Amino acid sequence: MPDFNSKRLRRTVLEMAYAGSTVHIGCAFSIIEILAVLYRRHLRYPGGQPRAEGRDYLVLSKGHGVMAQYACMRELGWLTEGAITGYFTDGSELKGLSDSRVPGLEVTSGSLGHGFSVGAGLALAAKLRGTDQKTYAVVGDGELNEGPIWEGAMFLAHHQLSNFMVIVDENGYQAMGKTSEVLDMGSLQAKFESFGFEVVSVDGHDEAALHAAISQLWSSEISAPKALIAKTVKGKGVPFMENNNMWHYTRLNADTYAQALAAVDGVVA
Amino acid sequence: MRAAFSDALVRLAKADPNVLLLTGDHGYALFDDFRRECPAQYINAGIAEQNMVGMAAGLARAGFRPFVYGLSAFIPVRVVEQIKLDIAHDGLPVVLIGDGAGFVYSHLGTSHQSTEDIACTRVIPDLAVYSPADRFEVAHCMELAYRANSSVYFRMGKSDRGDVHSAALQARAGQLLAARPGTSRDLAFIATGAMVRTALDIARDSYPEAAVWSVPFIKPVDVDQVAALCRAHRVVVALEEHSVLGGLGSLVAEIAAERAPTRVLRIGVSDRFSQHCGSYEYLLREHGLDRSAVERRIRDFLEGPNAG
Repeated sequence: MPDFNSKRLRRTVLEMAYAGSTVHIGCAFSIIEILAVLYRRHLRYPGGQPRAEGRDYLVLSKGHGVMAQYACMRELGWLTEGAITGYFTDGSELKGLSDSRVPGLEVTSGSLGHGFSVGAGLALAAKLRGTDQKTYAVVGDGELNEGPIWEGAMFLAHHQLSNFMVIVDENGYQAMGKTSEVLDMGSLQAKFESFGFEVVSVDGHDEAALHAAISQLWSSEISAPKALIAKTVKGKGVPFMENNNMWHYTRLNADTYAQALAAVDGVVA
Repeated sequence: MRAAFSDALVRLAKADPNVLLLTGDHGYALFDDFRRECPAQYINAGIAEQNMVGMAAGLARAGFRPFVYGLSAFIPVRVVEQIKLDIAHDGLPVVLIGDGAGFVYSHLGTSHQSTEDIACTRVIPDLAVYSPADRFEVAHCMELAYRANSSVYFRMGKSDRGDVHSAALQARAGQLLAARPGTSRDLAFIATGAMVRTALDIARDSYPEAAVWSVPFIKPVDVDQVAALCRAHRVVVALEEHSVLGGLGSLVAEIAAERAPTRVLRIGVSDRFSQHCGSYEYLLREHGLDRSAVERRIRDFLEGPNAG
C-alpha cells in the first residue's frame, strides 16, 4: 500500500503541470492532504481495483483539482508513467478536468455543482441496497455558489443519508478572486449545520487532524449527512504560489518549475 | 395515453426492483397507482430538478434504473447540462420523461410551455429521443426505453387526442410507423406526438391518397426509411408541436437535403413565444397549428411557387 506522501504527490502535480503546460496547480495543491488521508486511511477499493463492486466513492466535484487525484492514482498504480509524462499530448486519456471514463474518477466534473448531486445519488443507492459504502464529495468553496449543491444538501438531510460526506476545500479563492469578495458565503459550518448536516471544521493540511475529523464524523450516532470544512491554502506547498490566485491560471516555465520542485522538496527556492 | 404510461411504469417497476421513479414534485394523480403498487421505488426529489437529475446519474451508476419525471419545460430544458454531463456522457440507463410538451399548459404561459425540448436533446450524443403519439406508442416506447438500457428522453405531449394506431405495436426502435396507408406519389405526411392526429384528420378529409407516418423515435431514427419516403414523394409535410428549428421538420429536411432532395414543408411553431392565454385549441390557432390553418398552409405550399 503506498503511503501517499504529500511531497511526492505535489511533485507529481508539478511534473504533470509542466509536461502538459497546464493550469489549475493551486486548485490541486489545496486538496493534497485531503486526498492523501482519504486514500491512505478511508477509501476502500476491494481488490485494489478502481471500479470494484462495493467500493467507496470519491467524487471530485471540483474537477479543477484533478491533478491531485491523478497523483494519488499514480501511487496506486492505476496510471501508467506515460500518462503522467504525456499529460495533455494529442490522443491522451487524462484531461484537465475530472472525466468519468478514466477508471478511478467517478464523475465528469469541471462544470461545477454536478458531482455533489451524483454523489448524493450514489449515497442513496448504497442506502437503498443496504451496503456500508461511503461517498465522499470534494467540493470547492467557490463551487458552493452553485445552486444544485444546496438542492442536494436538502435532499441528503431530509433522507438522512449519513453515509455521505462533503469535504469543502475552503481555500478562500475562486477563479477571479477571494470568495469573500465575489460572493461572501459567511460561515460554511453554520450554512451546512442549518441545512441539517453534522459538521466539523479542520485544518485541511494537517493529516492527523483530517483523519481524526473524518473518523469522528463516521463514528457519530447522528443520522445526518456529514460535512467536513477543511481550511486550506490555495497553492499550498510552494510559497510563491500560496494564496496567490495567479496560480489558478499560470503555467510553469523552466525556472518556476525548478523553483517549485525545490520548494516542495523542502529546499529553499 | 397517460393511463398507458402509468401502467407501463408500474409493470416495469414490479418486474424489476431496480426501477425507481424520481419526480420533481410533479405528477399529482398520475402516480397514484405507482405509489400504491411500488411505494419503495417512488422518490419525490422536491422542486430541485438539477439535483434530481444528478442523483439519477448516481443511482444509475450503482445499478438502478431511474425514470425521472418532470414537465418538459423543466425535464429536459432546465437540466440540459446535467443530462449531457452526468447521464448521456456515459450512456447511463436513465429515462427522462418530459410531460406536457408543446402547448398542454396553454393557460399557464411560456414558463410551462415547451417547444424547444427536442432541439435541446437531439444534439446531445448518446441520448435517444422518443416522442409517442398515442397509448400504443407510449406503451411500446416505454418498453423499448427500458430495454435500451441507455439514456433516453421521453417526450409526452397532448395526451387526449385519441389513438392513431389500432392495436399494440411490434416496431423496432427507430422505425417510422404507418398511421395511415397511402398510394400518393405526390404527398406524404410525417408527424410526431399530438400532431399525428392532425395529420390523420387532414389526410382523411382532404388528401385521402396520402400516407401518414408517425415518428415516435426522433433519435436514433431510421434514416434510410426517411430518405426512402422523401425519394418517393414530391412533397413531404412534417408536423410537430415544437419549434420548426431543430425538431422533426429539421430532421426530415436534413436527411432530404443529403440523401433525397425533395420539397419539405415544416409545420411547427415558428420562432416565437406565445402571446396570449387561452385553451389548448386557442394556442394552436395563435401559432397557426390548428387544423384549418395547417390545411391552408399545405394547400398554399402545394399550389404555390415553392412546390416545384
